[in-house]
Amino acid sequence: MWRLNKVRHKAGRPGDSVEELKLKRREHEKALRQARRDRQLVSKRLLLNDDEDQSEVTMDTNSGEQDVVAVLQKLHHSGPERDTHLKALSKALRDPSAQLTFIKQENSMHLLVGLLTGSDATCRLQAVRCLHELSHSPHTSVASACLPASPYLLTYLSGQSTKFTELCLYTLGNLCPDSVVKEKLLAQGIVPALASCLENQRHNLAVVEAVGFTLSQLLQANNAAEKIIPMVLASSLPSHLLSVLTPDPKFGLGPAIECAWCIHYLTCSMKDHRVLLAQGALLQCSSLLVSLGGAVAEGNKEEGMELLICPLLRCVGNLLSSCPLTDLSAQMGDVRIVVALCALLQAFLHTQPALARESAWVLNNLTAHSRALCSALLTLNLVPGLIQLLPFSQGINTMILRVLANIAHNKKDFCVQLAHRGLLSALCATLKMADQEMVTLSMDVLFMLVVSSPQVAEEFVKQGGLSLLEATQYNSEGEIRQRATHLLEHHLLS
Amino acid sequence: MLQPDLVRLLTEGHVLVKSCDEDCLTGNTQEPRQSEGEEGEEGNPFNFTPQLIHLNKDHQLFEDGDIHRHMYLQDLYISEAEDKPTLSVSEFACHISGCSAIFSTLEEYEHHYNSLHRHVCCSCRRSLPSARLLDIHIQEWHDSLFTILSQRQDMYQCLVEGCGQKFSTSKHRKGHLIKIHKYPPDFRFDKTKKDKGNRQTKKQPQKDTTMDVVDDVCESEGVCEVMCDGLSHQPEQEESMETHGSEEEAARMAKSASTEEHADLNAAAPSTESSSSDPLEPRYSYRVPTNVCFGRGSVRGFRGRRGRRK
Repeated sequence: MWRLNKVRHKAGRPGDSVEELKLKRREHEKALRQARRDRQLVSKRLLLNDDEDQSEVTMDTNSGEQDVVAVLQKLHHSGPERDTHLKALSKALRDPSAQLTFIKQENSMHLLVGLLTGSDATCRLQAVRCLHELSHSPHTSVASACLPASPYLLTYLSGQSTKFTELCLYTLGNLCPDSVVKEKLLAQGIVPALASCLENQRHNLAVVEAVGFTLSQLLQANNAAEKIIPMVLASSLPSHLLSVLTPDPKFGLGPAIECAWCIHYLTCSMKDHRVLLAQGALLQCSSLLVSLGGAVAEGNKEEGMELLICPLLRCVGNLLSSCPLTDLSAQMGDVRIVVALCALLQAFLHTQPALARESAWVLNNLTAHSRALCSALLTLNLVPGLIQLLPFSQGINTMILRVLANIAHNKKDFCVQLAHRGLLSALCATLKMADQEMVTLSMDVLFMLVVSSPQVAEEFVKQGGLSLLEATQYNSEGEIRQRATHLLEHHLLS
Repeated sequence: MLQPDLVRLLTEGHVLVKSCDEDCLTGNTQEPRQSEGEEGEEGNPFNFTPQLIHLNKDHQLFEDGDIHRHMYLQDLYISEAEDKPTLSVSEFACHISGCSAIFSTLEEYEHHYNSLHRHVCCSCRRSLPSARLLDIHIQEWHDSLFTILSQRQDMYQCLVEGCGQKFSTSKHRKGHLIKIHKYPPDFRFDKTKKDKGNRQTKKQPQKDTTMDVVDDVCESEGVCEVMCDGLSHQPEQEESMETHGSEEEAARMAKSASTEEHADLNAAAPSTESSSSDPLEPRYSYRVPTNVCFGRGSVRGFRGRRGRRK
């Protein structure tokens, strides 16, 4: 279980100053960004023992390797203190080089698997802990060395011991990204195993979180769309994932976060979402966003909330892209979704601009074909708030302008209303921005507004629009010049 | 409460707005926009249509969110209190062909545009600081009727607004400006035609192929090109011009980034320089192709073309 109220500094050592920690974190972030660019963004989770703290994790490499060898020798000689030795082994295996040493020892995995499947329950627990440490290794050789244990780990998923099941799940989740291991696991039936685990342990939120994590590791694979995703969609997993999306206030956000990311990976890799839509995915995700938006608007921003909001936004955004318009009302129902999105936009603009950007994207997909939702934005007086976002770059203003363009595209009456709320003067500014996409979009919106009614055209002229357009006639881009000339000649001066 | 209005909207149950059913009835309709009042509006270049955007897992828009997620998985979660990402604001840019100036505020942009591009003469690409001076310039330099009339009557107006006096030659006017209005003898905006001289064009028109070439300078204000920095920077321009708290232009002196003529526009700039300075070197050439037309000057120069404009 991940306790969000504790910010852990895995990269740091006790004694690092705040500045050093920040630096390390920034470096780590850079590495992650590069990994994402290389499509190799993979993470593993380490489940700590309840009684220990991260600060106890020290990287003393030399002794780790020696410990492993020593402990293994002790283990080979069967005795009553096996569980103690195993505990020592798991501690030693924290060290990456010790992990390598372990797998190089003869029969080491065989021994471990034997203890994993033996009759001593305590030894089983300690053995799976050792495997969990091993699964955390960055080396692929270690991952493949763990393969002999995989069928047993899968079998134990149907067991009832929470801690044990959790460890099995996180171990499997850490091993998944390795392609060799993944193929084996798929053949050994990891998907059905996860499905029945989730179904049976739906009320055990720690296990739910673990299943979610493991599944997300599977679904993140670059070729997931080929085999894994169809398998998952055919199982009972989607409906169970949807049923646990609402976070439990006592337990925390962890399980909901993992399941939401699973659904995101499902929706973003395909264009055909009929299965998910039929199970009410859009409805569930959007109503959850409405309640989260409400909490955010009230100022109750729970820490880590954005980790849940982000995948939900993406699910709604991508599901919308394939939801037929006729189904929209059944799937969405509640127009408050646009209110929630505006609330999220405002709330996260300065702290998580990426979230604001994604909210704007969802708003675009909502307004692209739905007149009712466009109308809602106007009626509920949400447009001025959107216009205020037009100065902000990095994808925010272009997306917001698209939303406003969607509204304008609907009806002339909408255009008049937009003009009354200050869009004209905003466009006079956005037309001068450096971003060419902003300029083009601004021209398009301006056109729609100006041709909608003579009053709007007049108002535009009053605001100095003619000289603005004449200046635009000398824009370096031919398309822009064309548009300016067309607007002047056909609609403003004739 | 951060956003009370939104909270109210969100908690008021189902908001009474036209239901989504309206979409089903009308379908995905677009009221025709193009045929507004005119028939056969060909070549409408506006083609915006709303688009549903599907983003796959690796899309750039998702990068920050993904990184945040993985930092969390690896126990490196950064709470809001600790991390303040920078929100960026769009820059403004002068899009006039040939000009690539960028500004961080709208005010800077406006200042740049108003200073350099607003009152540009069509024929000779000279930039004048005000509409009035542009008018006078066009009249005196490019209007053949003026040339004819000025031989018989006093046509050269005093440059000072409100003075109203007219003179038979520009030299007379210049003398008047210096003597009565205390202008410096080398006031930039009172060049005689003969002094134009050579103007170097630094940049060639960039997009010849995509631009409508106008045959006659007077005919069309179609797609045109502005040569902003095609003027050479003459040493004389560095001579200090008195800037005595002129009404609007004091700030302009600070922004002398351009290579065009730029000076203060004081009504009365006391000058102690003697009027017997060196003869002004010729500066501008007539090597502007006749098929390049630009600037608002083109409009002003052609009376009656756009009656509505102020």
